[in-house]
Amino acid sequence: MVNKQESLMAAITFFAKAHAGEVCGSNGLPLTPNSIAILGRSQKLKELRHSNLCQYLDVIRGKHERTVVVSEYHGTTLQEKCKDKLNNDLILRLFYQVASALKELNEHKLVAHNLEPKHILLDAYNNVKLFNYGLFYMTKSGDHVAFPIGNIKYMPPERLVGIKNNCKSDIWSLGMIVAELLLQTQFWPNLKISSISRKILSFCQSSNVFEKIAREHDKLEMYQELDPDLRNLVEQCLAVKPTDRPLPQEILNHPLFVRNLDLYLVTPKEKSSTLLLRMPLEQIYYWWQLAGGDVQAELKKEGLIRSEAPILSIPQVVCLNGNIAGPKRSQSYLMDDRVVILKMQNLLDRLSKIPAMAYYPLIHSPKFPYNFGVGMDQLPLVIREKDIEYQFYRVRLFSRLLQGYPYTSETIRKEAAIDIPPLLRGQIWACLLDVIPNGSYEKIDKFTPTSTDRQIEVDIPRCHQYDELLSSPEGHLKLKRLLKAWVTAHPQYVYWQGLDSLTAPFLYLNFNNEELAFHSVYKFIPKYLQWFFLKDNSAIIKEYLCKFSQLTAFHEPVLAQHLSNIAFIPELFAIPWFLTMFSHVFPLHKILHLWDKLMLGDNSYPLYIGISILKQLKSTLLASGFNECILLFSDLPDIVMENCVVESQKMYESTPKSIAHRFHVVREKELGPFDITPDVTLAHLQKEMSPRISANDLHFMLRNDPNAMLCLDIRSVSEFNRVHLPDSINIPFSNINMDEKSLELLNEPLLEEKMHNRIIICISNVHENAVEFSKFLVECGVSRVCILHQGFNILHSIEPNILVSN
Amino acid sequence: MATTPRSGGSAGGGTAQRPNGTSQSKSCQFKLVLLGESAVGKSSLVLRFVKGQFHEYQESTIGAAFLTQTICIEDTVVKFEIWDTAGQERYHSLAPMYYRGAQAAIVVYDIQNQDSFQRAKTWVKELHKQASPNIVIALAGNKADLSNIRVVEYEEAKQYAEENGLLFMETSAKTGMNVNDIFMAIAKKLPKNDGANNQGAGAGRRLNENENNRQTTNCCK
Repeated sequence: MVNKQESLMAAITFFAKAHAGEVCGSNGLPLTPNSIAILGRSQKLKELRHSNLCQYLDVIRGKHERTVVVSEYHGTTLQEKCKDKLNNDLILRLFYQVASALKELNEHKLVAHNLEPKHILLDAYNNVKLFNYGLFYMTKSGDHVAFPIGNIKYMPPERLVGIKNNCKSDIWSLGMIVAELLLQTQFWPNLKISSISRKILSFCQSSNVFEKIAREHDKLEMYQELDPDLRNLVEQCLAVKPTDRPLPQEILNHPLFVRNLDLYLVTPKEKSSTLLLRMPLEQIYYWWQLAGGDVQAELKKEGLIRSEAPILSIPQVVCLNGNIAGPKRSQSYLMDDRVVILKMQNLLDRLSKIPAMAYYPLIHSPKFPYNFGVGMDQLPLVIREKDIEYQFYRVRLFSRLLQGYPYTSETIRKEAAIDIPPLLRGQIWACLLDVIPNGSYEKIDKFTPTSTDRQIEVDIPRCHQYDELLSSPEGHLKLKRLLKAWVTAHPQYVYWQGLDSLTAPFLYLNFNNEELAFHSVYKFIPKYLQWFFLKDNSAIIKEYLCKFSQLTAFHEPVLAQHLSNIAFIPELFAIPWFLTMFSHVFPLHKILHLWDKLMLGDNSYPLYIGISILKQLKSTLLASGFNECILLFSDLPDIVMENCVVESQKMYESTPKSIAHRFHVVREKELGPFDITPDVTLAHLQKEMSPRISANDLHFMLRNDPNAMLCLDIRSVSEFNRVHLPDSINIPFSNINMDEKSLELLNEPLLEEKMHNRIIICISNVHENAVEFSKFLVECGVSRVCILHQGFNILHSIEPNILVSN
Repeated sequence: MATTPRSGGSAGGGTAQRPNGTSQSKSCQFKLVLLGESAVGKSSLVLRFVKGQFHEYQESTIGAAFLTQTICIEDTVVKFEIWDTAGQERYHSLAPMYYRGAQAAIVVYDIQNQDSFQRAKTWVKELHKQASPNIVIALAGNKADLSNIRVVEYEEAKQYAEENGLLFMETSAKTGMNVNDIFMAIAKKLPKNDGANNQGAGAGRRLNENENNRQTTNCCK
């Protein structure tokens, strides 16, 4: 059944129980499909790493409540193996290693409840791994499936009367399995389930179950010849009262094992000669998918997923209570516990040309960053994300870099600017946000009821619910904990609707690492949304939106003009954009790409994203009136994220920092006299259509890239002649006729050509004049117009002198 | 917030949306605002009215959303410009921006939630105090499909509505019950000046937004 060389991963599938009849709960909301609940619960299992447990890799929802579970798998099942007689040492080894697996499960408060020989795998070194041990947990003690979990033969008596979730139940099963091996027989091979259950229940009156079974199977002699210690331990495992059975740890400490421990411990495997097989399994699985691996297709091939013509299953009568009369329920919906091995050959072929170096890239080597995947970084992002080779290089590189974090932050930042491999996005974002988990999340109170709870509770079931993980009960619980923790950790702030959307991407990416999700939000908010969550945030939001209008005028003067003419103010549409950093307006997959870039920028970056959205809709907006514009935004049409990202990046890079200056930000450096000074108030911003530029930025451009700007000096001719900036143009304000919006009236030859592609800085000594003039330029459609903050006089103070005179 | 999005019918310089071939009928535009506690179903009511849809997991509204819908009553074409506001108390400071200049308001509560009914009463009070004096207010007890687990009694709400001169209906955005009806009832109650059948003459006319003019701005075309 299993091809030894190739087996590494396998899939099983089953159906979750469909909700009968009623589709809505008492609150009027639809009941969560059980398969979604399973999906949410099963995530935790993926985190288990233990040498005696098969690693869970993925849980997929198929059609009609189907669940597919992908996990590690290799070697032979005990069921196969025990067809031959096993020697005593091997039985002991198995006993020990399964107990060791049970100990790990117990520590995570998991009970397998389906321990049986076919779920015990042995590899070539006779190392033991449990398989499919999470089924009981992920189905919420079996509540979410219609079939019973576990093989009745190995069930303890208490389980038959409905007691579950006690790890001692697994100890009984282990006892039964070992007993079978020791007695070299299969118990009750021909009994019906009902008879087996009667047998098991009858054990309740027995004082020694092991002996009773041995007697029953004519194996009493064999039983009596067993090592008394071993026999005794098995008898303890098969104690009728769960409390009399040993804990996994007690089995592991038993003298029986301790005296020859080396025989029973896991033998370390030789390192595989195939480099790929040394990689973390979750990465291998990820590449396997990129190499064209499709779990559901594999299951179809094996006949585990059978599709039937829907018409054959249409009911003839459906009663109002949900009962259905019609064709018999298809057999393909029944539980089929076959295991399907996922073949590796295709992946191995695809990666055969990868140089060994790429598996473990040396980041401090002079050859770094090598030439892996060279040229591919020019391909569109969506293609890069699906390219197996490219993702191989990226995942390996970032795995390496993440191991070195925080010492590698700079390289991580640099590489992240190229792109971020989706598999590691959550961790990489955390690095970009300078997160260093310190255990503080655990200590935050997430449970005491607060006045915010009601709001959080009504918001969560509406937050990105199209996503399977976020709509699962587990997802709801986690999001609630995160939000409550954030509110508790910030007594100075309050919960504003929108915080839920903002937190969701972090939870989505770090579903199994709430702490990382929490710290990421914790760092993200001050970086981009400082003071937005104050109880009274109006000053912050007003400043933000004013700056947004100014920057729109700066980059898109014609559009800004139009929007201003139709009174289409950002207050009406942009609050959810910025308050949630677009996480409320776009679906998750779009937010991820947007935030990949956002994380690399500073607090002004989101403003450029906003403008790039306007820019994409420009032609429609220009042709529309107020109603059409606002309707367009109520139902934001398909924004192409890639363009949006490229555009915002361009604007972000080409705009001097002071242009986007806001007062309400966390500042790393104190502002100096040549920066935008704090005396610029909201009232100023509201009056000025164009943003101000600082003397510092002007000076910087003058020295480094004077062709990037054009200074329009609107002082009088005499003032200009006395002293001015080199290459500046004098257009005396008093001579300007601004009645008609035309540059020609300025009487400056070739002005338009000179302005092309430059930042236009209006300089005056009378600030109001500069404001008026800049507005005129914007109205003439001139882009990138700004005003020199503090006017011409500030330039006198710059040393060494930058001014010249005629 | 000092800015008013637009009071009903004020010219936006944009294209006027008038149904064609209605030369006989009058056409009016009204600005309508939805107010009420969070998660009572404001957005769902609008969505049902405008698009005939219902989303179980309707996303929360941040700030506000805007939609329009046109209906006919008798010989009048009525266009609603609907501002659907955020329910969370914290967004309260934004609300005046939306109800200022509105000719109609629907205050929504959830019949399963007593607090939301109390909140609705507060909204009514605020509207009486702050909004246009002639504003038509309707009270909607939403989620009527869940009347088996109701907390707010029909009679109680009805009496309150009568005492305060409100239109009242229990609605269900989920089933569609009374959704169109409540908008229709509002449209009927809104004054449609006879003098307003001067079609075309008023197109593009820029209207003042001050209180005195509000009455006449109801019917712009």
